[in-house]
Amino acid sequence: MLSRVAENLYWLGRYIERTENIARMARVEHEVSLESGHEVWHSLVSTTAANQHFWDTLLTSPELTHSEFLLFSLDNPASLRSTLLSARELARGLREHISREVWEEINALYLFCIGRDHYFAEHVHEFCNDVARRTQTILGLFDNTVLRDEGREWFRCGMYLERADMTSRIVDAKYHILLPDGDHVGGAYDRFQWVAVLRSASAREAYRKAGFSEVDGAAVVRLLILSLGFPRSLAFCLLALERHYQLATSNAPRRRRVAAARYTALLNLDLGALDIDQILTDGLHEFLDGIQQRLIEIDSAIAEHIFRAEPDGAEPAQIQAQTQALV
Amino acid sequence: MVGELFDGYQTADASHDEIVDPARGLTEEYQELVETLHGWSLDEYEERQNRADLALLSAGITFNVYSDEAGAERVFPFSLFPRIIGADEWEATEAGLRQRLQALNLFLLDIYGERRIIREQIVPEEIVLSSPGYRAEMVGFAPPQGIYAHVAGCDLLRDPQGEFVVLEDNLRTPSGVSYVLENRTVMLRVVPDLFPRFGVRAVHDYPNQLLTTLLSARPAHSQDPPRAVLLTPGVYNSAYFEHSFLSQQMGIPLVEGSDLTVSDDDIVYLRSTTGLERIDVIYRRIDDDFLDPEAFRADSMLGAPGLMRAYLGGNVNLLNAPGAGIADDKVVYRWVPEMIRFYLDEEPKLANVETFSALIPAELDHIRAHAHELVLKPANESGGYGVLIGPQASRDELDQTLAQVEAEPRNWIAQPLLHFSTIPTLAQDRMEPRRADLRPFVLSGDDTWVIPGGLTRVALQEGSYIVNSSQGGGSKDTWVLNREPS
Repeated sequence: MLSRVAENLYWLGRYIERTENIARMARVEHEVSLESGHEVWHSLVSTTAANQHFWDTLLTSPELTHSEFLLFSLDNPASLRSTLLSARELARGLREHISREVWEEINALYLFCIGRDHYFAEHVHEFCNDVARRTQTILGLFDNTVLRDEGREWFRCGMYLERADMTSRIVDAKYHILLPDGDHVGGAYDRFQWVAVLRSASAREAYRKAGFSEVDGAAVVRLLILSLGFPRSLAFCLLALERHYQLATSNAPRRRRVAAARYTALLNLDLGALDIDQILTDGLHEFLDGIQQRLIEIDSAIAEHIFRAEPDGAEPAQIQAQTQALV
Repeated sequence: MVGELFDGYQTADASHDEIVDPARGLTEEYQELVETLHGWSLDEYEERQNRADLALLSAGITFNVYSDEAGAERVFPFSLFPRIIGADEWEATEAGLRQRLQALNLFLLDIYGERRIIREQIVPEEIVLSSPGYRAEMVGFAPPQGIYAHVAGCDLLRDPQGEFVVLEDNLRTPSGVSYVLENRTVMLRVVPDLFPRFGVRAVHDYPNQLLTTLLSARPAHSQDPPRAVLLTPGVYNSAYFEHSFLSQQMGIPLVEGSDLTVSDDDIVYLRSTTGLERIDVIYRRIDDDFLDPEAFRADSMLGAPGLMRAYLGGNVNLLNAPGAGIADDKVVYRWVPEMIRFYLDEEPKLANVETFSALIPAELDHIRAHAHELVLKPANESGGYGVLIGPQASRDELDQTLAQVEAEPRNWIAQPLLHFSTIPTLAQDRMEPRRADLRPFVLSGDDTWVIPGGLTRVALQEGSYIVNSSQGGGSKDTWVLNREPS
């Protein structure tokens, strides 16, 4: 498969997943801030790593709110709309690699968002709900209408890497509640926050089904970090990433594929050897920070050795069949 | 004669109208369609039109407009009322197109080879060699199959007598065929009730025919089976949708110049995630100038260095061939009837529009004297840019353009203003006549194949002669009717 196409499918997976995460988190934050009376959007802006940019932008647009910046602003490259624009632009260049159904759904979502050229604070809930549902439709269509070939595996790699990254950021946004010297550890406010974390990760029902009834910070973190059964947990996403990466690179020369495979495998081994108490003792924030660094390492290795690798003379010309289905 | 949609339908003076037969009221081909629509209310017609528009928008069938903000996309306006062409007329038109492409390909082979047509003084040498489409690199090289223009699009108009004439030939990278296929898909969806009654010839075989043409054009040294790709300038090109659409339909990779690499031994490879993959045939949708910075424009970022080496070495085939643009030249066009007589010893089956070249003194005199009656066209622009319509121009505009003609006589032609045919198109709340042209696509390979019909483009402004999508034109589905079983 063309390197450029593989890279774009990988990023399409990342952007679609990111769009959904922003929409889901924004919806929860919206409700939490209404109900609690606290303005909690700023933590979400920092979750998308756009904090400094927000304060810079505020100098030129003083009326800008956190939520508008996060959802609508096209000046913010990490906003929901910017992310979706990037996804649609990539999809436009990938139409012969995705099904017509997937393309039309992405395009429809784009038209839906572009059609709203100014921000309606009173419609945030419906807007975020619609976006989240439609991105799920896109992922479902992708799974059910696109040939299971190398390109689909790159899409999945991007999706899972992004999901792991977003889940770690969602947990990280609340890490301070678990600090042992916190003022209100275990109080009603905390539970409220942990429920918000669960809902941000679509994990509320999963949490109950996993046998927890009381909302307890450590249990929430265990579900979102270490559970192998919950499809948005860090451990689940990273195992999936490892598997899809193997499928995506099954025809690639060892020299090209080995770096990212090694980083991913090591990260999975490390996660498997950890328990939640130790993570909390060592410091949740430091742990999550380390995870994010290692995700960047994996992403860079894929870019450098697969997508952007310069052909070298020693490599014999390979003649591949035009499509290599992995079915 | 017809219902509310056609109330007050009146054809523009002197022009032929697709549905009007001066003697009998309605032309035979359109009789049944117009009578069917007679039973439709305006609301019903508009409802179908809206469904078609929505389908095109949600499918993202758009083109980019360069003069607007960077990368702006527009939906190509679609007009529901179809163009219909009867079986007999199409058969004759198709024969004319085959003849024309055969002659044009022979002309190119001759120009880059023996130049008999110049030696025998049929076509002036200076016009051929000064054509911007001429590529000295191609002299003495015989492309596989001897074909230069594998994919051609000829723009046809109906003259006031209702006969098809050729306005221009597009032999470099003609576009528009994706709209032919998408318009049909939309029509099948929104007016399914009409199709069974007419017996419309299918157009959807085009991608298969194109792939056959590509694979038949394998270079001297090729793999077995040969591997083809479509080379696009990228997502910001005005025809990007079409590039993506065709590669998807044919199941071949859509590549950009940076995806290709040419080895020291002149073999072309794709950069893939698993290494390098050899390719044999490139259906390129980028202009000659940008193909290869080693051979042509050094600043081109769109092509791949070394492509021409690989091509001239017989390791890859480029479709259409570099240098095919000579025959695109609106000045060279003037001599196509002579080419048909010279190479094929036949009379042209499709006529040219009368054309004056400013390079020929007597013809320049005529242009000066009659500019206000003529259409002045730069010879090598596309998309309708730079065209001056004499009868609609002010004296100042005429003088300005004439000054350009005098300064660069090689670059200008003039033609009488052809009052080309009109066709019903919904405007506000009723049908009004709007001018339309037709671009059929001709594939030349081991066999020649002509798409039944082609792209009907229609001017959406009242009285307008400009049908180009970049300047506000729209399009229609084109129905070539099956021959009635006798």
